Amino acid sequence: MKPLRIALTKGRLEKDTVKLLESAGFDCTAVREKGRRLILPIGDGSIEVVLAKAADVITYVENGVCDLGVVGKDTIMENGRSFYEILDLGFGKCRFALAGKEGTDFFSGYEAKTIATKYPNVTRNFFEGKGMDIRVIKIEGSVELAPLLGLADAIVDIVETGSTLRENGLVIIEDNVAPISARLIANSASLKLRKAQIEELADKMETERKKMQ
Amino acid sequence: MKNYSKITPEGTKDLLFEECLANRTVSSILGKVFSQRGFHEVLTPGIEFYDLFKEEVSGIPMEAMFKMSDSKGRLMVVRPDSTLPIARMVTTRLMNERHPIRLYYNQRVYRYNPGLTGRSNEVMQTGIELIGAKGKRADLETITTAVEALSKCVPDFRIELGNAKFYRALARKLPVSDSEREQIRQLIESKNYSALNSELDKLEQTQAVNMIRRLPRLFGGVEVLDEAITMCEDEKALRSLEYVREIYNDLMKIGLGDRVMIDLGLVQRNDYYSDIVFSGYVMGSGEPVLIGGRYDKLLDNFDRPAAAIGFGINVDALANVMMKRGNVPQKKKPDVLVHSEDGYEIKAIKYTSDLLGAGIVGENSVFETLEQALDYAKFNGIKKLTLVGEEIKTIDTGV
Repeated sequence: MKPLRIALTKGRLEKDTVKLLESAGFDCTAVREKGRRLILPIGDGSIEVVLAKAADVITYVENGVCDLGVVGKDTIMENGRSFYEILDLGFGKCRFALAGKEGTDFFSGYEAKTIATKYPNVTRNFFEGKGMDIRVIKIEGSVELAPLLGLADAIVDIVETGSTLRENGLVIIEDNVAPISARLIANSASLKLRKAQIEELADKMETERKKMQ
Repeated sequence: MKNYSKITPEGTKDLLFEECLANRTVSSILGKVFSQRGFHEVLTPGIEFYDLFKEEVSGIPMEAMFKMSDSKGRLMVVRPDSTLPIARMVTTRLMNERHPIRLYYNQRVYRYNPGLTGRSNEVMQTGIELIGAKGKRADLETITTAVEALSKCVPDFRIELGNAKFYRALARKLPVSDSEREQIRQLIESKNYSALNSELDKLEQTQAVNMIRRLPRLFGGVEVLDEAITMCEDEKALRSLEYVREIYNDLMKIGLGDRVMIDLGLVQRNDYYSDIVFSGYVMGSGEPVLIGGRYDKLLDNFDRPAAAIGFGINVDALANVMMKRGNVPQKKKPDVLVHSEDGYEIKAIKYTSDLLGAGIVGENSVFETLEQALDYAKFNGIKKLTLVGEEIKTIDTGV
């Protein structure tokens, strides 16, 4: 039988997932000593780890070339399409927030506001829910710059502690745009065709997650 | 101005040789299955009025359809689905036809997918619609046709059963607003266990709530059906489960064994399915290759109510899987190339059609000289060349 393929988001989520898999008893030496390789066997070889960028994890899972994936809820909200989201892994916690320049009232005035963000879909959905017309500007790097330079009225971005915002004179206008953490996602056909194998792995990961919290 | 004359639009592609052959092979295998069972083929227009596919009826989001306007400014769409045009056809042109009506189709459907994800916007779909028949016999007839169709192409398919009535019966009992109900449905559909739990935690913990909590996990073997039946207290929901069990048992008698799976969490949005639903899965395809179900309320939209059931198969996906496994015919080489000497062209044409009549695959040479014809035959792996002159000689090309 083909090994079960799980795509991990490179970086912190990958490290946290590996830790979780190791405490669940899978040998992850190959991933720890990966070098430049991107497909690595773990445990007894019945599972293969694929390392990819966040949005690519979704693409690989959706097309069925990977059975499972670990990816942040932020990426799912921005690129989410059709797959199953089967487990909240609990790590990689942060939240989406709307932030603007200190001392200005974001909701005042008649003109449509301009929002700078790395997440145009999330931003559009958030304001659609409020029935507010806005203009979205996509920024790739430090979004905080846009209101400081006068390009945007506010930003929608991921916030962990809020210290970057404070240091740049920005304040959170709305905090509950959405809570975020890492999720285990599954291809819809894989979940049906390899149910036992996937559920066994998901159950192990869930048990370990509960122990860690 | 940028010139787009050398590329195909995103989500479309040319199908060449093997790929085209694989596609046609699947279509023809399936067409044969359907017509042998008394289904008659129909074709519907490639463009239709948008009104036919309104989202409330079709469940297809407006932004997923290719739209244009006709000369009077009316909104048109490129066919995104075949069942609705067939429903239109049955309730108008075939309104006096005696029921049941057995139809099949093999045509392309078009839908926008989010860009750059490798999905096709153009899909060849084939399927059947059995209209004007309700009850278990019609359900079994349709599902066994689906089973036979898939088994003619890939032996290791799985068929999955569910019942649209089950979720509807439970959802009615939830003390929530319509938009909350829709959110809960989405969470079940995407099997988002954790978010569904936190949503349901807000409600009073009734039996229906507990059942819905389990819903995304109620898929797998027949044991999930047994579990649901033991848990379920709602009369209507229970009856829908028992019906799935009956169909399951019948499919066991046909000898499908562990090929049949259950998913009680099949809850598509706004879909027109009203009762038993089923899908087909194949290893190597990341999405279901077959989707079908009973849609007894759909024809109400055309003021001619009738019970109906049907399914559609994604021919491209199936052809793709078969091609990856090497289960489709290869591009066929001609057995012989017929070349004529000057002045014997007509004789050669007649000779070739005699050969073709005898079932041989032959090509008529369009070259001026024998040398060119021989070179062509060698390059293309044609073993024999027949030279037509005063006499007819066959030369071995040496390949």
